[in-house]
Order: sequence, then C-alpha cells, then structure tokens
Amino acid sequence: MPRLASRPADVGQRFEVAALVAVAALLVLVPILRLVETAVDEGASQYGAVLTAPGLGEAVRTSLLLGVVVTAVAVPLGMVTALALRQPQLPGRGFWRVAVLLPVLVPEFVLGYSWQQAYGRAGFTDTLLGVPFPGVVGPVGVVVVLVVNAVPIAYLLTAVGLAARAEPDLERAARASGAGSLAVLRTVILPLLRPSLAAASVLVFVVTLASFAVPQVLGAPAGVDTVTTRIYADLSLGAHPNSFVEAVTLALLLVLLAVVVVAPADAVLGPRLRSVRVADSGGSPVAVGRRSGGGWVALGLGSYLLVAVGVPLLALAGASVTRAVGLPPAPDNWTGDHFSQLLDQRTFEAIGRSVGLAVVAASLLTVLGAAVAVLERRRAGRSLATLVTLTLVLPGSTLAVALLIAYGRWLSGLWLILLAYLAKLWAFAHRPISGALDRLPPGELHAARASGATAVTAARTVALRPLAPALVAAWLVCFVTALHEVTMSALLYGPGSETLAVVVLNSQELGRIGPTAALSVLLTGLMAAAAAPLWLAFRRLGAASSSDRELAGVR
Amino acid sequence: MSGDLLELRHLRVAYGSVVALGPVDLTVAPGEVLALLGPSGSGKSTLLHAVAGFQPPAEGEVWLHGHRVAAPDRAEPPERRDVAVVFQSYALWPHLSALDTVAYPARRRGFDRASARRQALGILERLHIDHLARRRPAELSGGEQQRVGLARALAREASLFLFDEPTAHLDTHVRSVFLAELDARRRASGAAAIYATHDAEEALGLADRVALLDAGRVVQVGTPAEVYDQPVDRWAARLTGIASVLSQDGRRLLVRPGWARLGGDRDGTVRAAWFRGPHSDYTVETTHGEVLIRASGRPRHGIGDRVGWSLDHSWDLAGDDALDQPSTSAGPD
Repeated sequence: MPRLASRPADVGQRFEVAALVAVAALLVLVPILRLVETAVDEGASQYGAVLTAPGLGEAVRTSLLLGVVVTAVAVPLGMVTALALRQPQLPGRGFWRVAVLLPVLVPEFVLGYSWQQAYGRAGFTDTLLGVPFPGVVGPVGVVVVLVVNAVPIAYLLTAVGLAARAEPDLERAARASGAGSLAVLRTVILPLLRPSLAAASVLVFVVTLASFAVPQVLGAPAGVDTVTTRIYADLSLGAHPNSFVEAVTLALLLVLLAVVVVAPADAVLGPRLRSVRVADSGGSPVAVGRRSGGGWVALGLGSYLLVAVGVPLLALAGASVTRAVGLPPAPDNWTGDHFSQLLDQRTFEAIGRSVGLAVVAASLLTVLGAAVAVLERRRAGRSLATLVTLTLVLPGSTLAVALLIAYGRWLSGLWLILLAYLAKLWAFAHRPISGALDRLPPGELHAARASGATAVTAARTVALRPLAPALVAAWLVCFVTALHEVTMSALLYGPGSETLAVVVLNSQELGRIGPTAALSVLLTGLMAAAAAPLWLAFRRLGAASSSDRELAGVR
Repeated sequence: MSGDLLELRHLRVAYGSVVALGPVDLTVAPGEVLALLGPSGSGKSTLLHAVAGFQPPAEGEVWLHGHRVAAPDRAEPPERRDVAVVFQSYALWPHLSALDTVAYPARRRGFDRASARRQALGILERLHIDHLARRRPAELSGGEQQRVGLARALAREASLFLFDEPTAHLDTHVRSVFLAELDARRRASGAAAIYATHDAEEALGLADRVALLDAGRVVQVGTPAEVYDQPVDRWAARLTGIASVLSQDGRRLLVRPGWARLGGDRDGTVRAAWFRGPHSDYTVETTHGEVLIRASGRPRHGIGDRVGWSLDHSWDLAGDDALDQPSTSAGPD
C-alpha cells in the first residue's frame, strides 16, 4: 500500500529534479563543455604559440602567488577577528559584528579605486599630510586590498565554525581541567576550527584566484597581470591574433586551478562541514573580570576598519566633489560638476539596466535556490545541490567566456549577463534557504500534517513564516551581488548593455578621476540602500535565535 | 575561616541587568556533599559557574581553602581553582579519544603524554571503561560519555567536585548505575562536592546537606531529613517530594505519603488510585482537603469508594498562606 501511494509523488519529484538538472546543464555544464570543445578544436594548432606568449607564465604565477599570500594573511586575520568578537567584554559587540563585514558591502572595484584615492600619489594622505604610499598601485596594493576584501569571508566561516562546534561547555571543561586561555586555544579551539579554517582557506584562495576588479584597478596600471586581467585584455582589446584562443585557454586553466584546490579539500572536509549542528548552551564560555582587554580590542578593530574602509571611502567621497586631482578636499575646492556630468542618459540607462537585471536575477535565483534546497532533502536532488555549490568556485571569467562561446551567437549582452548571474549566484540563493530549512524542526511540519493540514497547507501555515527571513535574505544577497558584479559583466556587455559597474570601470580606464569617483559613490550608495534591508533581515534572523540562546543561557 | 573548604559570602551573579543568583551565603566542609535542589532557572548552574570561575560575581566573594578566589574586582581563572566539573552536556572534546580526554588534566599539570596516558588508563580501569579508551565521543553512548566526563573530573585530583545535573540526559536505568559509580568514586577520592539537580530523590539520596534554590535565592538549607520532614513552606515541601497539605483548625499541615494510612476513624472518598509496582497511591478527598495515601500491594479500592484513614504524622507549615492552590501535588509520575 505505501509503495502504491508514494508512486505518483515519486514521479513528480523526478520530474522536478530533471527540470532543475536541465536548468543547471544549460547554465553551467553546456557552456563549460563548449569551452573545452573550443579549446580542443581551435587551440590545438596554436597551443605552442599561446602557451609561450610573453607574460603568460608570469600572469599565471602572479595569480597563484596572490592566492597563496592573500590566503596566508587573510585567514588568520579572519580567525582572530572571529575570536575577538566572541569576547563578551567587547564594548558594542553587535555593532562590530556588522562593521567587520563592511568591506564586503563595498564593491570590490570601488574598494580598490578608493584605496588608490586614499593612499596613492595625489591621493588623500598625499594632499593632506604629504604622505603618499605609491606601492598602493602595484603588487603590494593588490595584496593588501584583496586581504581587506577576504578577511570578512574568513571571519564569517570561522565565526560559523565557532558557533557550530565550539560549545561554551567544551571550553569551560578545558579551563576546569587546568588549561589556561592559550592552552584552550591550542588544544581545543584550533582543533575544533580546523575544518572551518581549511574551508575558509580554500574559499579565500579561489575567490582571490578569480578576482578581477582589484588586480585590474591597482595591478594593471603597474604592469601586474593576472590570469583574469589577461582574459579581460584578450577579449576587450584583442591585441594579437591568438587573443581569443589565449582567453579560452586561460579560462580553462583558471577553473582547473580552482578544481585542483577545491576537489581534495571537498573530499576531505565535505562530510565534516556539512554536518552542522548548532552549539547547545549559550553565553560566553568563561567571562573574566570586567576590567579586561575589551577596550583594546575595540580600538584595534576600529583602527583597522578606519584604515581599510573608512579613509578610502572618505577619500573617494572627497575625490568625487573635488575640482581637480591634487587639490586638497577642502570646501573651497568643492564642486558638484562630477555628479552633474553623470546626469546623462547613459548613466540613467546603466542604472536602470543594473537594477532591472539585479531584480530579475534575484527573483529567479530565489525560486531556483529554494527549489534546490527543497529537492536536496530527497536522494535524487543531492547531486544537484553539490553541482550548485560547485558553481561557487567557478571563476567568473571562466563562466563568462564559456557562456559567450555557448550562446554568444544567439543571445545579446544583457541576456548573457543575466545567464551569467544565474549560474554564478545560484549557490548564494541556495545556501541561506537550505540553512533555514535545516533549522526548521521537522516536528512542526509533522504536527501540522497530524492536525489535518495537507503538505501545501502545512508548508504555507507553518514553514513559510520561519523561512521568510531566509527567502528575503537570499533575494537581497543576490540583488546586492548582481548590482556590483563586474568580472563577468565586463566581458559580456555589448553596445547598449553596459551595467553601472561596467560604466564605472570604463570611466576609470579612461583616467577620468572625478567622474569615476562620483560614479563609485553612486554605486556604493545604491549598494548601501539595498544592503540596509539585508542587514535588517539578518538582524531579525539573528535576534530570534540569539534571544532564545541568551534566555537559555542565563541560568 | 572555621575550616570550611568553600565559602560563598553574599554572592550575587548577574548577566547584564538580569540578576541570576543571590545574594547567597553557603559553605561546604571538606569531604561534604551539598546538593543544590531547584527547578530549572533557579540559579543552580550559575552558582556552579561562579564557583568554577566561569562567571565573575557582581557582588560578594567566593573563598576556597581560606583564600578569596573571586570578588567583583578580581577573580582567579578556572584553571587555578582547586575544582573539577562534570557537565550536564558531557562537554567531551570531539577531536580527542576517551584516553586523551582523561589524560588532559595531567597534561596541563605538566606530565608528558606517556605518563598522562598511563594515569588516565588507570582511572578508566577503575571506572571499568578502559575498553572505550580509543573511542571518540561520537562513538560513545550517553552513559559512556558521562563516565568519561567523570573520569576526566577525577583526573583533575581536585578537592571540590561540581556536578551540574550530570544525569539529566541519561536514561533511568543508566542513571542509577552512573550515580552509584559517581558516589563511590567521589567517596574514594575524599573530595567534597556540590551536586546540582532538580531531582529530589537524587539530592536526598546523595547529599549530606541540601540547599533549596528558588529564583536565585537559597530558601532552606538542612540535612536531607530536615528539608524533607520540615520544609519551610509549601513550595519547599513540593520541591522535596510528594506533598499533601491539609487545612485543619486554621493551620496548614504537610502530610507525606507514608505519614497517613488507610484504615482508621477519619472518613474520606477515593478520587484516584494508581498502581506503582511495589505499592499503590490513593488520592483521598477528606473534609480537610485531599491527601495522598500510600499502601503496599495492588489497589484494593476504586474511585468513589468510601474509606477510613488515619494520620500518623504531619508537619505544621507555619505562615503558609498560599491557599489558592490545590492541596495535593500527587499525580501520575
């Protein structure tokens, strides 16, 4: 009987899974296969020339070196931040938890450009204090800004690891067994965090490998080429006859490098990272006296954020209202010209396209993400979830080149950009919804069914409300990310399909400092406006869970 | 002072603006077992956390071995206090085997790995769990995990054990075996203990003295017999066991199940009857209120039967004025 009764549902599930697999194939698998095919077909005869092209080896080495150095610096910094923000005596802990994520909310491109405006020649510190840091444009600047950009990623993964694995009682048990705080860190916390730190290292390495905007803004002018900037140069400038084949080869190489790092890590870490359990009792593990280093930690965090984000954004704002380069950003030198120059049709169209694309992409992605999150709970859908998660490490440049080859003949720039967003950000929508489904106690749905609700009614009346913040968060994360995406958009746009981020990049390449700064301020403002509700959504999510925990931990 | 191992002087603990405990004054003598009996949220864990050094006091002091170890301005860290803790959550480190978990305290005292493990194996053997030495927490049952937790606390060689509801997550049959083990090992070590629990039977059975905790305050301290036979009020009576309260001549009389008998010149009507295995419990309605009477064997009376009963003993709940509550707390256990 049960077998007969479950058969129609089985068929339905298989159809749903098949439909999603088809979408994933169109978005990711087909383009990647076409990329490989093209590389084999067209590249075979020219490999000798492509692989020995001047500067190519250097670009690959630079990309790898950047990945290693940024990972080696950003992951420990992220971990230290997560440990510091766990201290209950830190004044304004809630504020700092949001503040350390600021670098992620500033578009990568804007961050790079604002550092140049802050610390470069004729920049903020140069005109005001006479202290320039010319190294900002060059390899050092690229590393530092990529580190600033990557620390929040490492922090988030470590903080999640701490919350999931380092239950306060484990630390208390170590202290009560005679371990001092350093011994606890060495013998308990670090071993518990090992999987999270490894995951953070892999992610930071891959994100750095795939990064384009920062190397383009701070590296390219100093002659520092990476694989991604070279792909961009190959496709947008097409300087030599082998450019296209070189771009295709580099795109493949990039994904191969990512896979070489990710595959073993996923094999070893995957099962350990997927079994997420939320730590039991709340409260801080060991609260020390009131007079302890909280103030110093706050001072350190504040100084870091001031140097990393505060001064650069201030410099950017300054440059956007200052009449000419090299003038101090004093009121006498202020002008609204750069902003009024932007008030043309091209900018408005770009804003409209960016917002429109982001809205459509975020809406479709929320549906796709939710679909995978629901289906992965059944056996047939699990591989689909793995595939979607893997798109996280698929470099944007590779995806863009692959989509261009697969569909460029039929689809215009805007459609290609939309497809690229859908493929690249699917995992962004999937993760929060899947996480929220994990936290939904199965008993609640069962109780609704046992009280007479159908599956749909149970989902609507019991599950939708607790899932709503996650759905909103998924939509907003996709919207915000799509809004400032530049790596893929810069490769895929055509005449009449520039997004705002592409307009900013082009403006910077033309050396128009004031207007670029004004555009950057505009883009950051748009991001901030979109991120504000995201922050509120997270606060609601966090408030619900942390108030439960605090209540439980009080006594 | 006065040879006490532990002394809490006017101790108050707060989480932000929420006062979770205190002010509390308590002492524990060397080798003594003090049970903290209270419902969840009464401040038992908070008191243990303050003694262990996990939470600093907002007011008051903690004295251990005649030395002040905690005050609002200064607190010794947990690792420097002569205490060992057994946690309700077991708190076993997922990356360490049972052997390395039990060897951990000796390692922190400076022993090398080999001798720390030798000592740990000795403790595991004494607890008859040496066959679990290589297993990690995920491979152990709840009862086994808590035995490893107990072994780790024994390895600390402290003068004071803090047991934070160690049986709360254990099945009934595992619980009694574990408690017997805990009691025997604690006695053998000669250490004192504070045992937090919400289970009256555990508290009365294990402790030399029992402190009743309500909303962060100590309501009564006494020997198990004192707090059971002479509770200070109706709340304390209910916390320490099954309690019937009869009103008679303007007084409130506590009657424990064994203090009243079936048969006698008082009249009553059976309102409920439960077979409990070794005995049966009857709720009998009388002119003074409902009383729970325990009798050996299977139930011989049904609901609605008129029975005679008599009272051997009762305790005057002086000053008790909580009359709005039903007088008998017995029910299907």
